[in-house]
Amino acid sequence: MSLTRELAPTELPSQRVALVDLLDRVLAGGVVITGEITLSMADVDLVTISLRALLASVSALAEETT
Amino acid sequence: MTTQPVRYRLDADEGDPRSAERGLASLVLTIVELLRQLMERQAIRRVEDGTVTGEQAEQLGYNLMLLDERMTELTEKFGLTREDLNIDLGPLGPLLGD
Repeated sequence: MSLTRELAPTELPSQRVALVDLLDRVLAGGVVITGEITLSMADVDLVTISLRALLASVSALAEETT
Repeated sequence: MTTQPVRYRLDADEGDPRSAERGLASLVLTIVELLRQLMERQAIRRVEDGTVTGEQAEQLGYNLMLLDERMTELTEKFGLTREDLNIDLGPLGPLLGD
């Protein structure tokens, strides 16, 4: 399988909470998430995707604007 | 906290040129699955909060179930499993839940 993911070097020994569960919990207030993705082929890095996204539940944004 | 970028290698498997689309498919399906799980959790919240009607809750459940089935079909179509979509974000833990 050529599709591999390189992990960040450190890993917390404590219980691991999925990011999606964390996001779900903070959505009521709204949150900005950032992420970096590198696409590579044949060990050549081709594309970097740098994401910055605002995520909020609909009710959170509605409260903000009224 | 700075983390390494998530790195996607998009090469086809050695000796299997037909697997070429797998890498890109997993990237796209990972994003789709993240949004699906997020919607699922928010839907459960809305149902628990009582801010949707009973009929809406039923429709939400039905459609989320269909989406879940489609995700399994799509991953299988590209020779992937649902676990393949769950990227390990290192210190941040896994991306997806169950």
